[in-house]
Amino acid sequence: MAKTTTGGVEAVYDPRGRVDAAAAAIAPRARQLKGLRLAVLDNTKWNANKLLRQSLKRLDEEIGFAAVNYYRKESFSKVAAPELVGEIAANNDLLLTAIGD
Amino acid sequence: MEPAAVAELPRADELAPPPQGTDLVEWYFAKGFSDGFPVVPPTPAKVAAMLAALGGEPELLECRVPPRWGGLTREVLAINLVLAGCLPDYAPVVRAALLALCDTAFNLNGVQATTHMAAPLLVVNGPVRKIIGMNAGCNVFGSGNRANATIGRAIRLILLNVGGGWPGDLDKSTLGHPGKYTYCIAENEEESPLAPYHVEHGYAAEQSTVFLLAAEPPHSVTNHVANDPEGILDSICSAMSTIANNNAVSSGHCAVVLGPEHARTIAKAGWKRQDIRAYLWMYSGNRFRDLAFDHRYGKIYNRNLPVWYKREPDSRIPIVPSPDHIHLFVAGGNAGRFSAFIPGWGHMTSPVLRAIDGSVGPDGAFCVDGTCAV
Repeated sequence: MAKTTTGGVEAVYDPRGRVDAAAAAIAPRARQLKGLRLAVLDNTKWNANKLLRQSLKRLDEEIGFAAVNYYRKESFSKVAAPELVGEIAANNDLLLTAIGD
Repeated sequence: MEPAAVAELPRADELAPPPQGTDLVEWYFAKGFSDGFPVVPPTPAKVAAMLAALGGEPELLECRVPPRWGGLTREVLAINLVLAGCLPDYAPVVRAALLALCDTAFNLNGVQATTHMAAPLLVVNGPVRKIIGMNAGCNVFGSGNRANATIGRAIRLILLNVGGGWPGDLDKSTLGHPGKYTYCIAENEEESPLAPYHVEHGYAAEQSTVFLLAAEPPHSVTNHVANDPEGILDSICSAMSTIANNNAVSSGHCAVVLGPEHARTIAKAGWKRQDIRAYLWMYSGNRFRDLAFDHRYGKIYNRNLPVWYKREPDSRIPIVPSPDHIHLFVAGGNAGRFSAFIPGWGHMTSPVLRAIDGSVGPDGAFCVDGTCAV
């Protein structure tokens, strides 16, 4: 992290620390929505369920999903549990979520 | 699972050392490595002294700091300690505080990113307070003491530099609060008639601990009239019983800091820590109708409060779920009949208490003020 003072320069330090992360690919975009299974993830924020249920109603009327599955996170401030993410991935084709603060 | 690849490294041009004679205070400002105040430019000697105080091993990874998840190696920790103006003696306290903050239970990721104003409050207990010269007395939440000021500042610099909690970027706090510069106190064990906080929680008095709570600023409680516990504590209950603090609507944990005069009046009547916390819990709170605004904006349930709360219009809604969710300290100057209520962020975070040297408390049952816990 440190830089040396050799060659007429000042010693300076980077205080940020290194970020180590693996790149992850984004899922391919669905070509059509009709007949797919939609997951709705409610993050439990104040108005999330209201926003999501209204959005869901209008989307379903317009598109016609094969199935709609509603899920809730344990806490809006924490990432969804790995088991929940696994269940959503295994049983759905699309995911709808929103903050709804 | 350990990350597999390096995705972000500082860019080379950002690290290009400036010519000799450069004003380094301005250089650190220009690079964005400051909290807004001038920093102490690290030198090889200062960084080495700080590293030695941490036990050497500059590449040792202590923790990763969210939401940026920067790696806090001992060298990075030492650099930030120097930037903050810390003495090497403070280094173990800051290290312990960061380990507590990065405990999963604390949910630092959420604390850093929330629109709420919460900032981590650090309370130090045990002999280390005296050894490093912390202030537990007059103006304890205020300015004037290097240890309190720079320990809290070092934590904030790490949350900014390593954690990436820059306002408007990964820190979305609508308002923030002044404790986001520094928010660090010591309990006034010498003037307290009660057992120290860490002893109440199973540590020996000879151990030194850090306690971290995601917290709003202190709310002053004045009571220059009461000469009994009930009167003083009723004033604190009044400060707790608003519908606007985050505990009222999101539950969780909170802190109460008794000024020494109030603490002495209460203790003179024979009240112990558990009596005080139980009274505060029992006689604070709101009616559900007030929290629900009488449902005039639509039917309100409030999913952030425990499911076991009754939600009838006149149901009493406690500020926190139990007396154990009230963290009680004695701090401040000898004169003055003041205390403080410090709301927490809510159920989204749990406070963390840990020994500075990483040791655990005594095994099995422990007894404080005549009450034993397992």
